Order: sequence, then C-alpha cells, then structure tokens
Amino acid sequence: MSKKIIEKEISIGPVHPALIEPYRIRFFVNDEIVEDCEININMAYRGIERLLEGLPVEKALLITERICGICSNVHAWNSVRVVESGLKIEVPERANYIRVLINEIQRIASHLIFFGHAFEVIGHETFAYRSFLLREVFMDLMAYIGGNRVMPSVPVIGGIRPRADLTDTLKRVILERVNDFEKKYKEYVDRILADPMVMSRLTGVGYLSKEDAIRYHAVGPTCRASGVNYDVRTLMHEYKPFDFEVIVLTEGDNRARIVQRALEIFECLKIIRQVIKNLPEGPVVNRNWTIREMPFTTAYFEAFRGELMHSYALDSQGLIRNYKVRTPTPTNLAAMEKACIGDHITDAVVTIASCDPCLTCCTRIEVVESGKTKVMSDIEIVRKYGWRR
Amino acid sequence: MGLKAIARKNAIHAMLIYTGGCNGCDIEVVNAVYSPRYDIEQYRVLLTWNPREADVLIVTGCVTWQMVEPLKKIYSLIPEPKAVVAVGACAINGNVYKNMVGEIGVNEEIFAPVDNIIPVDAKVPGCAPRPEDILMGVVKVIPKLMEAP
Amino acid sequence: MEVFLKILIASILAIIISVPYSLILPGIERKIQARIQQRIGPPILTPGLWAVLKFWYKKDVEPVAYLPKFYKSLIIFGIIICIFLFLFSTPYWWQILSWGSVLGLIGMLKLEEFLYVLMGSQSQSFLSTTMPVPDLAKGAKGIGIFREFVEQHSAERAIKMMAVGSLPLYIALIVPFAIAKSGMISDVIKIQNPLYFNSSWFSLPIPSSPIIFTVPGFLSAIVYFIGYVILLNERPFNILKAKVDVIEGGILEYAAKLRAGYYIIRNLMLFILSSIFVTLFIGIPFDPFIPLCMIINIVLSLIMPIALSVFVAFSPIFTFRQIYPTAIGFSAIGAFALIISMI
Repeated sequence: MSKKIIEKEISIGPVHPALIEPYRIRFFVNDEIVEDCEININMAYRGIERLLEGLPVEKALLITERICGICSNVHAWNSVRVVESGLKIEVPERANYIRVLINEIQRIASHLIFFGHAFEVIGHETFAYRSFLLREVFMDLMAYIGGNRVMPSVPVIGGIRPRADLTDTLKRVILERVNDFEKKYKEYVDRILADPMVMSRLTGVGYLSKEDAIRYHAVGPTCRASGVNYDVRTLMHEYKPFDFEVIVLTEGDNRARIVQRALEIFECLKIIRQVIKNLPEGPVVNRNWTIREMPFTTAYFEAFRGELMHSYALDSQGLIRNYKVRTPTPTNLAAMEKACIGDHITDAVVTIASCDPCLTCCTRIEVVESGKTKVMSDIEIVRKYGWRR
Repeated sequence: MGLKAIARKNAIHAMLIYTGGCNGCDIEVVNAVYSPRYDIEQYRVLLTWNPREADVLIVTGCVTWQMVEPLKKIYSLIPEPKAVVAVGACAINGNVYKNMVGEIGVNEEIFAPVDNIIPVDAKVPGCAPRPEDILMGVVKVIPKLMEAP
Repeated sequence: MEVFLKILIASILAIIISVPYSLILPGIERKIQARIQQRIGPPILTPGLWAVLKFWYKKDVEPVAYLPKFYKSLIIFGIIICIFLFLFSTPYWWQILSWGSVLGLIGMLKLEEFLYVLMGSQSQSFLSTTMPVPDLAKGAKGIGIFREFVEQHSAERAIKMMAVGSLPLYIALIVPFAIAKSGMISDVIKIQNPLYFNSSWFSLPIPSSPIIFTVPGFLSAIVYFIGYVILLNERPFNILKAKVDVIEGGILEYAAKLRAGYYIIRNLMLFILSSIFVTLFIGIPFDPFIPLCMIINIVLSLIMPIALSVFVAFSPIFTFRQIYPTAIGFSAIGAFALIISMI
C-alpha cells in the first residue's frame, strides 16, 4: 500500500444538511479522495445514565423511552426486560405479542426513515419523498395503538399499557394497511433497484469486508450486509413463536446495506401478519409483582441498528443503581470510519449515512490524560473532575 | 398591505437546527417537510440549510453544552427580519432531561429553555409534536415577519 | 444615431421582458418536481418572484469573506454577464463588432462559469471550519493539517467542471454554426428562416428548415440539453454545490439583496440558455420589434426548463467518477454530430 498523502482537512457539521443530528465529521482528503476520517459524536451528550441514577424503576421508563426518538420502543422494552428477567416477573403471552407487533412496526418506520435519509444524501429527492410517504402508514398505526406517533410507550413492567390492547377493528385496520403497504413498497424497491444512476452511486462504494466487520464489531444490518450472520432476535425467547429469516448479504458495500434493510422489511411484515393471526386471548398486564433488591442484570436486544444492551441493579428501596446502556451506533460508526477510506467525499458521506447513524443514544465521554486514552464511566468522571467539565 | 408584506408572506425560508435530544421532534419536522402528506412547501415555506437564506429558525432539542455556541452564532447570522420557533417540550422546558432527575438534583448538561439563549417567538409543545402543530407554529410567526420594517 | 436608438430601445425591452419572465421559471420547475413527488408543492410565484422580492427587502449584512467588497461585486458582474449574453443573441446586437457570433456566446458563458471559482475562493461560511466546536483537542487526529472551507473545495470542483463539464454545451453550440458554415448568428438564422429578414413588425416568420429536424441538429440538441444541466449546476451535475458536503458552494455567504441578485442570475441563465437554444436550433430569434416572433421564442423556451425539472426529479448527485464518463460520452456524441454536419 502506498503512503498516504493528506492534503487538507474538510470538516462538516454539526449543523449540516447531510447530518441532521449534531455530530461532526472531519475528512482528511487528498484532492477528492478521503484518506482518513474522524467522527466526533459527543455533541448530544445529555448524561442519561447519570440522570437515571436513583430513580424509581417504574419512573425510569419515561427517560429510557426518550433515549432515542426513532427506536423509542426498543429502549423502553429493553429497560423493562432487565427488571423482568431480574425479578422473574411473568409477562402474559398476549402482551408479548403486542410488544413484538409495535416493535416490528417501529422497525419498518426506522428502516424507511433510513431510506429517506440515504436518498436525501445521495441527492435523489423523489425516492426520499416516496419513502416518507410510505412511512406515514406506520406512524399512523403507532398512533392508533399507542396514542403518539413517536413515543407509543407501549411496554410497562409486567406487560403493556391496557390502552395499547388490540381490538378486532384495530387488527383489521392493521392488516388492511399492511397489505396495501406491501404492494406499494414492492414497486418502490423494484424501482430503486432498477435505477441505473442510483445504483452507480451505491455499488462498490464503502466496502466493508467480513473480517473488518468482525474486527470493528459492526452489528445489526451493517454486519449482516457484510456476510456475518448475527441477529439477537434469533436468541430471544420473546421471538420464539414467530417464524422469520435473517437476511444476510455478502457484498458489504452501500448497495448491500440498503438492500439488506429493504429485504428485512418483508420479514417484519411477515412477523406482523403472524401476530395478527395467532394473537392469544387473555390479560395484557400482570400486576402481581413487587420491586425488591435486584443484582446487576443485563438484557440484550436486537434494536433496528444492531445489538443493544441495557443493564442495571436495584437497591433495597427499588431505586436504579449503575445504569448502563450500550447502543449499536458507536461500533457501526467505527466500522464506517474504516469503510469510507478511499472513496470520494460525496460517497463517504453516503457511506457514513448507510450505517443509519443514530447519535442521540451513543454519546460517550472519552478522557485523554497525558496521551493515554481512557474511556471512563460518567460516575468516574464526576468523581474525578466534578460535574462541570 | 404593501408589496414588502406580500413578498414576505409568500416566501418563507425555514432553517432547522437540532441541538441534541432524542431525534423525535427533529424527525417530525423533517416529516412535515418531506412527507407528501404534510408538505410544508404548499404553505409557501421552503426548507433551507443556510442561515444567510433563512427567515425562520426552527429549534428542536434540549440545548446541550456543545450546541450553545453554534446556536447563538447561527441566530446572529440570519439577516433581519427573523423569527424563532421552538419545537418540542425539550426546547421549551427541557423535558425529562431537565425536570426528571434522580440523585444529581440539577442536570447541568442541559441549557434547555431556548429562551435563555435566543429570543423565541413561537413555541410548539408536545413530545413529540405532530407535524400539523409544527406547520401551525411556523405560520404563527408570519405576522411578525410581515410587520417588521 | 437612429441605429443606436433602435439598439438601445431593443435592449431595454429585452431586459424588461426577460427578467420578470425568468422569475416564473423556478416556480414551474419546482411545481413539476413536486407533482412527480406526489405532493402539491409551492405556488408558482413563490420560489422565483416572491423569494427575490423578499430577499430584496431584507436588511443587508456584511458577508464573511477574504475580500468582502470583491465578493459582493461578483453578483453585479454576474448580472451584467448574463444580460450581455442574452443581448448578444438578440438581433440588433448581431452586427456590432461581430459579438453576435459563436465567440461572443462562448466567451460570455466561460466568464459566467468562472464566477463560481471566484465566489468559492472568497466565501468563508460559518458552517464548516469556523464552527465553534472543540476540533483540535488533545489527542485529535490530524492536528496541523491545512483546514479548508467547504466553499474553497467547491471552487476546486468548479475548476474541474470548467475543464470537462462544459465541453458538451460548447460542442453542441458549434454544430448550428458548422451547418451554416459561418460564425455569425445571422447566418444561422438565414439558412433556417429566410423569411425573417424581410418581415414586417406584425408578421410571423415560420422557419422553413429548422436545424433540430436534421440528424446532426437533433443529436446536438440532446447534447445541448446535457450541457444546459451541467452549466446550471443542477442534479445530477451539481457536485460544485452538492448539498451533502459543500452545501451550496461559493454562494453560501450571500444574504439579502445579494442573494436576490444571485437568484436573478440563476433564473436568467435558466431562460437565456433555452432562448439561445430556440434561436439557434429552431430559428426564431428573440426580436422585441416583432412581437409574435418574440412570444413564440418565449413559449418555446419553456421546453428546456420543463425537461430539466423532470430530469432533475429522477436523478441523484453524480460524483466525478460518473461525471467524467458522462460528460466525455456526450461530448463524443456532439463531436459525431459536428462531423456529420460538416459532410
């Protein structure tokens, strides 16, 4: 490999049309070619883990749901799963089905917003508009089930909110909308894959090999598009009753990352149909539980962008201690920092967008002390440096 | 109503600045623009990303420490007359991040009410507000733009 | 003296008609795109006329640039260049110092392209390097490397586009002159529309043999369209003001009246290039003293912006990986048309 020549630095963000969220990308370029890249993601730091310290666990749901506005249900559900598995709280079967339903609805909405963002970055406005139009179906369904377009707040400890129970009318509406959506969505995907100009922008750009995907620990659709068969849903007992396939592609370029998500939406639709067909009768929430002391418990979950971890302990009064969240985007972004090297700047922005970055949930503080990098937890930082940086 | 007021009423350039938070409001604003169902352009509001071109600044999110300076700077770059719309509970009062704290008492990472940093003309409450409300919020600041000298 | 007065009145009429008319075009363009995207879209006057008036009534601010006065003057240069480019294609300027020739048109177009290089090298927008975030913290990558504004990168791209991107338009522009075997616009009109030169003010001279209906003329019309898209920096050839990295390129810092000026330049180019197309390829010049002729020119010059807006709605941004082959390929088609036309 020849020696890198870095001519200049071009930095964009945090206020920029291509990165709607506040983060900063510094490209080190040689003419048009990206030779090195640094992504700075600490602009959205809100201190969530610190906020949750000492809150009652029932109340924590309000904050955990607001960790991210795109995958609100994932965070809410996973924080509930921690306490459910730690305290052995029984969840009714019907509640579990409805949780899966709302999660898959939100997964489709999230993937469609990814299409919208990706095509906006590629510059194809028509596809972006179409994608947002298709997404409205699922925003509506979320509003019907949960009462809010963005924060449906469906899971609570021991089941779901009774408001989110499915009536027969709602079941029929969901089925109608989903069938209608699938027809339009098929046309949309066919149209994208048949477009030579868009495909010439995507094919062969931002290549991430299988070895690199494993080494940088890419998760979710990013690693599945690089040939790594890894999906936490296959290991979760919540998803046992449902039959779906894990889509694995081997190309590892931007096209594969888009096609992987496009195909995954069909699997989500399959799960939604199964939920509506096999929805068991019974109660939706189990109130027979008391919060008591809980040791440190961890729950893993397949969020829309990859593997998500929540873990905490409860003290004797039922207050949260040592909340930890590990979200998929930091590892995916590290992989993308590698993948975008060697491409044009315009393509590199697409590559970074193609891992569907969701920065709100992944912000961390990194402390550099006399040249040695050390990632510290928030509590350590507060102890060492005081609250104000 | 003079030509000036008619021109200002008929072409409004809105700029979105997102100052940390949960993405929800941000995506609803983008939805209001990009989703053909809401389509903010039919109400003569065009989205721009350049403060020099903008009239209306849409601020979402609880303002985090690193976004205070960019927010002030971008507000100062917009030529007069200008208006600011604060969208979402975070921009209005800090939402859960400021008001639902555990043991730390005060969350000093959040500089939340946008009023504290730049003057706000319209507030759109909700977590997350619906796109219709955001359209309404933008429309509410038009009289201010029209009456400005 | 009488000739001079006639030129003066014709020029003033041409400007008075073309500038307001050109302000309608972006609205039509936006409306067509919106319809393709299944939405209603802005009213037709909003993106053009009202936006320009609104920017005109905004309070002036000083742009952040290396040489602010020079940066501001570029807009005035741009408007002058556009207006002269248009006037050179109207009949009363054809005879003056042979400006109404292929050289006059191409020279003015080249100046217009060069403006983007100057604008990009001057502007220093807040949105890239000078953003107040702690970039050069201890432990950050690449400390000490030259930090460039995105506009300057846009200027570099503008130079590349000048080198390769504008070839199709120029080759296509030469074809009608090659068919007429002359460098003057008047000769090009003469072979297509001989009636025009001795028609009275109320008559409608219909062209007898438009170049667009010949094989080389048709090929070069297609190439001209691609060149038109490239010169206007529209998608897919808008890399020098691609939204994803350089945002808007060199025009980022124009505010208030200067931005209104920029909108006028852009809209005028939209109209002028298609008016030149109608003049050269169909043979109906923009003649303010023959109203029917002028109206037909104006109506036919809607073809290009409409085709442009459909084309733009279905295309992504091209990077240089795609722009070089596309531009060179279309230049080759243009060159082929040029060779056929000479036989």
